[in-house]
Amino acid sequence: MNNVPVFEVSDAVAIFNQILETATPAVAVVGEVANFKINQNKWVFFDIKDAESTLNCFMSVFNLHGVIEDGMRVEVLARPQITKWGKFSLTIQNVRPVGAGSIKRAFELLRAKLDAEGLFAIERKRTLPELPDRIGVISSTDAAGYADFIKILNERMSGISIEVAHVQVQGDAAPEQIIAALKYFNEQKNPPEVIAILRGGGSRDDLMAFDDERLVREIAASRVPIITGIGHEIDTTLTDLAADVRAATPSNAVQILVPDRREIISTLDFQLSNLINESETRLNEIETRVVDNCSRMPERIDHALSEIEYKLKFLNAALQQLNPRTILRRGYAIVRGQNGKVLRTAAVGETLIIENYDSEITATVEKISRKT
Amino acid sequence: MIKEKSLKELLAEFDEIVAWFDGDDLDIDAAIAKFEAGSKLADEIKKKLAESKNKIEIVKKKFNVSAMDRGEGDEKVDE
Repeated sequence: MNNVPVFEVSDAVAIFNQILETATPAVAVVGEVANFKINQNKWVFFDIKDAESTLNCFMSVFNLHGVIEDGMRVEVLARPQITKWGKFSLTIQNVRPVGAGSIKRAFELLRAKLDAEGLFAIERKRTLPELPDRIGVISSTDAAGYADFIKILNERMSGISIEVAHVQVQGDAAPEQIIAALKYFNEQKNPPEVIAILRGGGSRDDLMAFDDERLVREIAASRVPIITGIGHEIDTTLTDLAADVRAATPSNAVQILVPDRREIISTLDFQLSNLINESETRLNEIETRVVDNCSRMPERIDHALSEIEYKLKFLNAALQQLNPRTILRRGYAIVRGQNGKVLRTAAVGETLIIENYDSEITATVEKISRKT
Repeated sequence: MIKEKSLKELLAEFDEIVAWFDGDDLDIDAAIAKFEAGSKLADEIKKKLAESKNKIEIVKKKFNVSAMDRGEGDEKVDE
């Protein structure tokens, strides 16, 4: 045993860990997941294995950004370690599904989970402002999709303020950077009216950053409405599903976001010419009404005249009835004194002149008796 | 200082004029005045659309997490 170092157990474990850390500070391992479990919603344990070997894996739930299940093929980025119980294990910093089947499965599982939470519900979708003055853009300024967006935006519309957050739109760092950019816009005192998340086409694997659970949650939580223009028309990421509006491509996002100035101008011209037409129509209506009224005037005058004639006839008849001559004809008589005035009282011996319809009679009063 | 009206405000004013013409009573003198105001607005809108450019600024802040941890750059370009 000479020349062999002697350690206490704890020291031995520490030494081995130091050697491991120096030799393989980080290692990526690919294999199939088995015995996956989450403890107390904090710690994740699983095995990663191939036909011959198995390694124990351990990670914090905060580093798990998707859904993993047994049988899935994954790549883990890990630090090898010997635990104080003497177990060799991998401490995982990142795990992601690899191979078309596993990627698709992980996507479907996460989609179902977030869907069940209501993150993709139609009722949550907000409408975008009709003519935004300020747009926040999250994209890589080196990306073709970004260049397309700006080019078409400048073609279509002017007078808009665009603030661009340059981030990675691909790779492991992308989700965190996009989340940081979303927070940056959302935390502004006067945030933009809409945020556009853009990335041009690529393989479906290139778009995996947009299926990150943390990012999808951040999108759903944004108080500023979000439009996405990610990948090609056929690609749908979970980010797209959580956004308020999904555009097929960055170019399509511009078309949805802002009207084309040529459309605005032609609409203005159309509406102005409509105003002229409208005024003309109204004027014609007024003219027709005046002409119509004029043409009906003689008829109205005739009508008024015959009405007057009728009234006159009626009045005449009424007057006839009141004429004293008419009354005398009915057998009445008028009694006057000698002075010719109509008498209301008389004295005995007084001379009266009585007029009836066809004669005048002179008479003397003999007796007056009161009517009872 | 009178603030220059935004495109949005000009378009809203124009829409108001268009809506006025849909009203029931059309006073010809008022209609002529409204029409003149409408075509003046349309000219203003066209001029605005032709003249102004979009203002694009790249946020200076770095969004990689390590830079954020170091508390680097919170300021923007042009502001």
